[in-house]
Amino acid sequence: MNIWKISIRNFRFKPLYTFLGILTLSVSIALLVGIQQMDKSFRNQLDNNLGEIDMVVGAKGSPLQLVLASVLHIDNPTGNIPFEEAKGLMRNPMIDKAVPISYGDNYKGYRIVGATHDFPLLYDAVIKEGRSMESPMEVVLGATVAEKFGLRIGDTFQSSHGLAETGGHEHAAPLTVVGIYEPTHKVMDRLIITGLETIWEVHHHEEESIDNEPESNDHHEENGIYENDEKESHHDIGHSQEITSLLVSFRNPIALLNTPRTINENTNMQAALPKFELERLYQFTGVGVKTVTWIAYAILVISCITIFISLYRMVRDRAFDLALMRSYGANRFQLVKMVAYEGFLITGSAFLIGVLLSQIGVYFIFEMITDQYKQTMPLQVEYQELIQTGGLVVLMVLLSMAFAIYPIIKMNISKILSHEK
Amino acid sequence: MIKTEGVTFKYNNEDTVFKFPDISLDKGQNLLILGKSGIGKTTLLHLLGGLLRPIDGSIEIHGVPVHSLSNKELDRFRGQNIGLVFQNNHAIQSLKVVENVKARLFFSKRTISQTVIMDLLEQLDILECKNKRVRELSEGQLQRLGIAMAMVHRPGIILADEPTSSLDDDNCNKVMQLLIEQAEINNANLIVITHDQRIKPVFKNKLEL
Repeated sequence: MNIWKISIRNFRFKPLYTFLGILTLSVSIALLVGIQQMDKSFRNQLDNNLGEIDMVVGAKGSPLQLVLASVLHIDNPTGNIPFEEAKGLMRNPMIDKAVPISYGDNYKGYRIVGATHDFPLLYDAVIKEGRSMESPMEVVLGATVAEKFGLRIGDTFQSSHGLAETGGHEHAAPLTVVGIYEPTHKVMDRLIITGLETIWEVHHHEEESIDNEPESNDHHEENGIYENDEKESHHDIGHSQEITSLLVSFRNPIALLNTPRTINENTNMQAALPKFELERLYQFTGVGVKTVTWIAYAILVISCITIFISLYRMVRDRAFDLALMRSYGANRFQLVKMVAYEGFLITGSAFLIGVLLSQIGVYFIFEMITDQYKQTMPLQVEYQELIQTGGLVVLMVLLSMAFAIYPIIKMNISKILSHEK
Repeated sequence: MIKTEGVTFKYNNEDTVFKFPDISLDKGQNLLILGKSGIGKTTLLHLLGGLLRPIDGSIEIHGVPVHSLSNKELDRFRGQNIGLVFQNNHAIQSLKVVENVKARLFFSKRTISQTVIMDLLEQLDILECKNKRVRELSEGQLQRLGIAMAMVHRPGIILADEPTSSLDDDNCNKVMQLLIEQAEINNANLIVITHDQRIKPVFKNKLEL
């Protein structure tokens, strides 16, 4: 027999009280851990999705919409801008990479993005199998898309007009898969990448060729990606030299200060800073996270009070038992240890159950999100935050235990033993 | 040997000062302390058991000056040399019968072999309920468990506070017989305080407060 054994017996003596104490504490721990983890993961994911994009240039409209559409690929674009005008911007010496992208189609809800070969570089994406697109109507798939539809190199599919899964008509010309990217856990994974010309070509074929605008083909030498395909493309694409937006990464962050203003004031386009816009967005959604966090703290306080009450009750209800133990020769410290062990048993099991609950909860929420946003998100366990939460819980519990244990130190054995129940 | 001289006690916040008559008992001698309630019987018992400290006077038990021990020494002394029997509460509620005996030995820092423990439970006729919880025992079994708890660590002095007040005549006799018998086996002093007149004839030494 030792103190631990007696504590365990006490722990099991009144299971309902013990259970209630553990329940409230574990729920608050689960909330705290879960919220912290999801908040952290979302933030990381948002930052992560920016890749190297410092600025987006697109049609005038809401800057947030532009960022959501062109960077996170979850909203509709603000409109199109003339490729010619965008090319003017791309000559800016401060610019490291400038990637024009063009939208218009989807395959079963996954967006098809027309872009240059620099696009995957923004996300450090590497080709897993196959090769990069080289001529129109060739596509390279993000990891999620390839996995979801089981598409392989050489497979063909038909895209639908528009960005949503339903409503658009199907295009007649099939697209051919020539490559698949490694998973990046970024927005890349749920995109289908193709050349700009594919988008132009698909849409051009569908319109009646009524415009006979003279073409200037010089852009092919400069920025087009099918530099060797002039013969094939120059007749078709000239009229629709429009892109949805231009993704820009700067050589020097100083450029962030002036360039956007210059663009907004001097052109018909607008420039938006994704980091700034997302931070703004985060401030709105952050209110919810903060509220829930405060609720979790409130629950933590309540559960500590519960632990205090249950330990205090135990000390009072068992005052005679404790006095008996003193009469058996137990010193104060042994009794304090006994009650403290009981508190630790409650806290320990609550922490384990709480962390387990939070992980199950977060797992299901992530599954849901992955399904909704069609993107895999790495589930991050933040040990540091877990330790922080654990530390906070231990501190609160220690405090409530100290209050509960105090009567033991002050206990008058003789008085308790002479006032028998 | 138990020897007290001029023991005086006063509770904090109370004006009453208890002055107790001197006691002197040889090894193995028993004593019955009688008195009306409120006169300080239990206080004297707790003074002898090291649960209270006198404000004046000396208490010597087996050569140890109990009144001048430090808190820690007192806890240890109490655990090893004193056995207390109470009127109603006899054991730790959350533990089983045999676990109670073992916990008692643990706090007393005594090691007693399993067979000796079982023998004691057998003598007290509670061996068959050794794995029962305390609340499952009958009144008589509880009282006998209380005696086991007061005896198992072989104390030099057994102090009983109204051990028979809530018992019928039959059980009263049995309990007194057991107490005296066990004290004799262990060569311990038995001091009983009571207002129960039924047990008066059993004792040679009596002290009226």
